[in-house]
Amino acid sequence: MRLVRWKAVLPLSAVLVTAAVLWWMFLDTAIERAIETAGAEIVGARVDVAAAHLSLRRGSLRIEHLEVANPDRPMTNLVELGEIVAQVRLLPLLEKKLIVDTAVIRGARFGTPRRYSGALAHPSPTSQRLRGMVAGWASRLRVPALSLEGFSTVLDLSRLSADSLRTVTLARTLASQGDSLAKAWREDLDRLDPRAELDSTQALMRRLEQADLKALGVGGARDLLAQARNRVRRLRETRDSVNRLASRVQSGLDRLRQSAESLPAARESDYRYARSLVHLPSLDAPDLSPALLGDLAVERLEPILYWLALAEQYLPPGLDPRRAAGPKRLRASGTTVRFPKARTYPDFLLSYGGADAVVEAGGAVSGRYAATITGLTSAPSLYGRPTRLSATRAGTGATPASGSVLVVLDHVRQPVRDSVKAMLDGVSLPGLALPVAGARVELGQGFFRLDLVRQGDRLEGSLAWRASGVKWHRADSAQAAPVAGAARGLAPLGTAAWARELVWRALSRLDTVEVEVRVAGRAGGPGIGVRSNLGREAARALRQEIGGEVDRQERRVREAVDRLARPYAEQAQRRIAAAESEIGAMVRERQAELEAARADLERKIQEATRRLPVRIP
Amino acid sequence: MLFALKLLQQTVRTLNSEGTPTQVAAGLALGSALGLTPLMNLHNLAVLALIMVTNVSVPGAMLGWALAVPVGFALDPLFDLIGRRLLLETPALIPLWTALYNLPVAPLTNFNNTVVLGSIVAWLLFALPMFFAARWAVVRYRASLYPRLARTRIFQVITASKLYNAYRLFRPE
Repeated sequence: MRLVRWKAVLPLSAVLVTAAVLWWMFLDTAIERAIETAGAEIVGARVDVAAAHLSLRRGSLRIEHLEVANPDRPMTNLVELGEIVAQVRLLPLLEKKLIVDTAVIRGARFGTPRRYSGALAHPSPTSQRLRGMVAGWASRLRVPALSLEGFSTVLDLSRLSADSLRTVTLARTLASQGDSLAKAWREDLDRLDPRAELDSTQALMRRLEQADLKALGVGGARDLLAQARNRVRRLRETRDSVNRLASRVQSGLDRLRQSAESLPAARESDYRYARSLVHLPSLDAPDLSPALLGDLAVERLEPILYWLALAEQYLPPGLDPRRAAGPKRLRASGTTVRFPKARTYPDFLLSYGGADAVVEAGGAVSGRYAATITGLTSAPSLYGRPTRLSATRAGTGATPASGSVLVVLDHVRQPVRDSVKAMLDGVSLPGLALPVAGARVELGQGFFRLDLVRQGDRLEGSLAWRASGVKWHRADSAQAAPVAGAARGLAPLGTAAWARELVWRALSRLDTVEVEVRVAGRAGGPGIGVRSNLGREAARALRQEIGGEVDRQERRVREAVDRLARPYAEQAQRRIAAAESEIGAMVRERQAELEAARADLERKIQEATRRLPVRIP
Repeated sequence: MLFALKLLQQTVRTLNSEGTPTQVAAGLALGSALGLTPLMNLHNLAVLALIMVTNVSVPGAMLGWALAVPVGFALDPLFDLIGRRLLLETPALIPLWTALYNLPVAPLTNFNNTVVLGSIVAWLLFALPMFFAARWAVVRYRASLYPRLARTRIFQVITASKLYNAYRLFRPE
């Protein structure tokens, strides 16, 4: 039987040639789909390519009109690139690696509107996880509320009850602990009651005094003395037991006293709780800035944290095997594992890219930029140099401005070091909505600074905006509300109109707005601090307007809390003191009785021993 | 459509001139690779070329493919497990995978996917037992089952139909 079916070689060749022709015909489409799929996987939003063309002869890849949707705002493009022309190395393609020596990007625009939503029905698990992580951080972050609404000179403390106070709970616990400990100690002392032993000791001492040792003989005298010595030993043992109990009592009392020391802290917490019930505003400036601008700060930081996490995910340091979900197909996707190797090409490398970029108006960084990117790679450890993105502002024509952006992602080795520095002057700053004042401020042209440094798991830095000649507007809802009376100071204290009017009057006269958001902590969830002249000014105005009233009401709140909590706290202290005094006295009495009996008995033994004619061992 | 079917029938008939149990079994074993492993991968192009060029039963390969497809879907979790064990949980093999991954063409086979690698390894392990079992079964079929089937009415109806044209390829010479 023939092993090879020679007549099939021709049809096979025809099949292979057909496959090659089909591959050639659909290569560009396959590249488009690959870019769209990989891009969507990374970004977490739609990536669309109008056309792609790979020229194997020239080793060039041309991509037309690439749109990357903003995952946070699906109807806006994060970036829209008119044309990318890249010089691609051909041999690494056989290793499934894309090595781009240079790329020229023309017509890059940021923040452009989209015709249709860029949201994905099923975002990649990685982007979902990172988005969930950032959203979790935002929801965990506690932005203090500045709620003037409900503030009133008539303080309603009806909801404040003894059961709702931590001081009362703690005091009750302490009192009950004191009682139960005292009871247990009393029982222990009863078990160690030495009266019977002391009576026997007295009897033994009398016997020792009255005994005629000569008449008892050597054996009788020895037995009597042995009994006396045993009694001394038992007295010592009982005394040691009482001493041990005394130590237990002491440590128990120490614990109670320690717990009692936290009563003032509990009281402070109760003051805060009571304040929250009656909407007393805090008038400290550092408190007001987060309340006024905290949500805004979180909103601005969320995308930065997301992109930093994304960079960590897709530009990992080291050469360990990397896992990713397998390709989408009818069969199970499985896991695709990549095995980077030293002195070989990474899966993706863009050595140098240059772009002429425009950020659409309306954003904080809008304008025209000349940008370069170097060393963007999926395996920074193989490339050995950090990824650098730099952009220099080229001015917008109508508003001369300057600025620069420098992003360095050093993932060559652990710990990763990222830094983002941006300094832009004369840029169009976005407006700020201030619901507390029922207002919106248009910042106009101003200064923007971003300075973030991430080292390993630590993130530190700040964002700042500064604008002069700002314009204040009433928000629509505030205009719709009946504020006419409030403007003349007629709105009742504690109403929403009164609160909005108060803050509006304080802020709307400001000509300059300065906001600084400080970030520090874990890269996955840093803490933030907000400082602004808006917060300072609002606090000053509030203090002027209602400071005296707030202080007076705060005192009333404290008094109300004290009235409820004090009896319980005092009772707890009394119980502890009583336990200390009663049990302490009992213990000391027992110790003294036992010690005296032991000393007397030992003296009697010595006297008896001296009376003996011979020494008895 | 009819023309395409006729052409296919003709091509199959031409390619499958000898349908011995060994050829059918070899075809089944090779064809099962197409069904057990994810189809759109480079190794399956090689398997397809083998089916066409070597003198195995093409209908046997098609049958093996058809039978193995549902088995492949059902066993994907097992293949994933095998692939995961080999690719990620066997440190001794990592240098091998790393070297392969950085060779030309090898990464295009997607060997670094757990389901692909797991299914290929499973197929390689079962190909020989499958071959011998199929050969034994075909021999038994042709010796005992076929003569009885040939006398049944349904079989006679089928043999009169177009479908039988394809079935003839399995018929004993």
